[in-house]
Amino acid sequence: MIYLDSAATSLQKPQSVSQSVSRAIKTLASPGRGCYRPAMQAADCVLDCRMALASYFGVDEPENVIFTFNATHALNIAINSLVSFGDRVVISGYEHNSVLRPLYAAGADICIVRTPLFQPETMLESFERELRWAKCAVCTHVSNVFGYVLPIRKIASLCRERGVPLIIDASQSAGVLPIDNSVLGAAFIAMPGHKGLLGPQGTGVLLCNHETRPLMHGGTGSNSSEVLMPDYLPERLEAGTHNVAGIAGLYQGLKFIASKDRHCIADHERRLKDALASQLSGIDGLRVFSTNVPSLQTGVLSVLHESIGADELAEQLGKRGICVRAGLHCSPLAHETCGTAEEGTLRFSFSPFNTLREVHMAGEAMKKIINNIAK
Amino acid sequence: MLNYLLMCRSLTYAQRASRTLEHAGITATITKAPKSATGVGCGYCVKVSEKKLAPAIAALNKAGLGPARIFMLSENGFVSEVEL
Repeated sequence: MIYLDSAATSLQKPQSVSQSVSRAIKTLASPGRGCYRPAMQAADCVLDCRMALASYFGVDEPENVIFTFNATHALNIAINSLVSFGDRVVISGYEHNSVLRPLYAAGADICIVRTPLFQPETMLESFERELRWAKCAVCTHVSNVFGYVLPIRKIASLCRERGVPLIIDASQSAGVLPIDNSVLGAAFIAMPGHKGLLGPQGTGVLLCNHETRPLMHGGTGSNSSEVLMPDYLPERLEAGTHNVAGIAGLYQGLKFIASKDRHCIADHERRLKDALASQLSGIDGLRVFSTNVPSLQTGVLSVLHESIGADELAEQLGKRGICVRAGLHCSPLAHETCGTAEEGTLRFSFSPFNTLREVHMAGEAMKKIINNIAK
Repeated sequence: MLNYLLMCRSLTYAQRASRTLEHAGITATITKAPKSATGVGCGYCVKVSEKKLAPAIAALNKAGLGPARIFMLSENGFVSEVEL
């Protein structure tokens, strides 16, 4: 089996992740539910991970690192904290439904900055124009469909200059590209724990640098006689029992990532993307969405055949043990922006554990499948 | 022997306070804050000995983790708040 769907979730993980999850399930209770040993060990595990995340992502205080169940949950908290009915919110044309749907649900006045792929300067000009009347901005760091790296530093700088709070969706960049909120100064950064950070599913993180409004209300193991959620983080945003086993695994995933050179994972995944793009570029009728500028694309590659559907190609690849994703990837907006909304695309996405040999095999399989269908 | 309870606003702060004190060579134990004295349900404290109270407060203030309230815990278990 060759797994090339890491933009959805990481499948191959460091061994320490599953070992830590297994140990946590057997030995850890719940933080804040007592001072007995398994509860305090769970609290230590959660704090260790919180502190490591704060240090890795340039957050001053570990209390400002919130554990969520995924990036969608984190984005919902951030949007709920900043956006009220009728507020004008500027977003890029590459946002995921995890941004779009909460904004629609909140009744926001959404301004979409639609600019072509791999043209960051055009995007910056549009953002600069639209930010004038904005209550806040939401921008993905990397498109989950095309791997396009948006000019997030410059967008963050524009937002700071205009006093517009910025929410960054780091779903495709956390653990892959450097993110330092002491430089970016974003109001919130949301990320999954189970993608680039190599943790288990059911983990997510929200980095907070702004006033917050709880999305969920419930027990926190603290200030229990109060009827409202605490006014301090992290308890304010962490109602209910933590996913302690998931957090234990996430901590190991983060340690693995942090032990590598900051650029080596991104460089490796880009090499794989470039190799596959090169291999596929000669296939008749196949459009390959790739750029040669390394800073503009991560290890995510979309392709689209003029006559063979993306779902058909994904199914045929699946029969050969090659796992990829086809369709709209929960990002219809990105497809509308790039003119691929009708069919969607076939997406290959890489992890630190993929090899050039695997990529070569996937490329060869694509050639055979397309030849067979075209006959 | 007298002990003091340094009340923290959350478990996370209590953990950080405990770790800060350990790094400063001060033995500190995280305990639940007694509701009868503090009026707070499910609060957390770090417990230090009378001898270590002053250096503990100094270390916590230096780390930006100064206690919200301080309680004296007598040998017979009686708890009373101390003016800061």
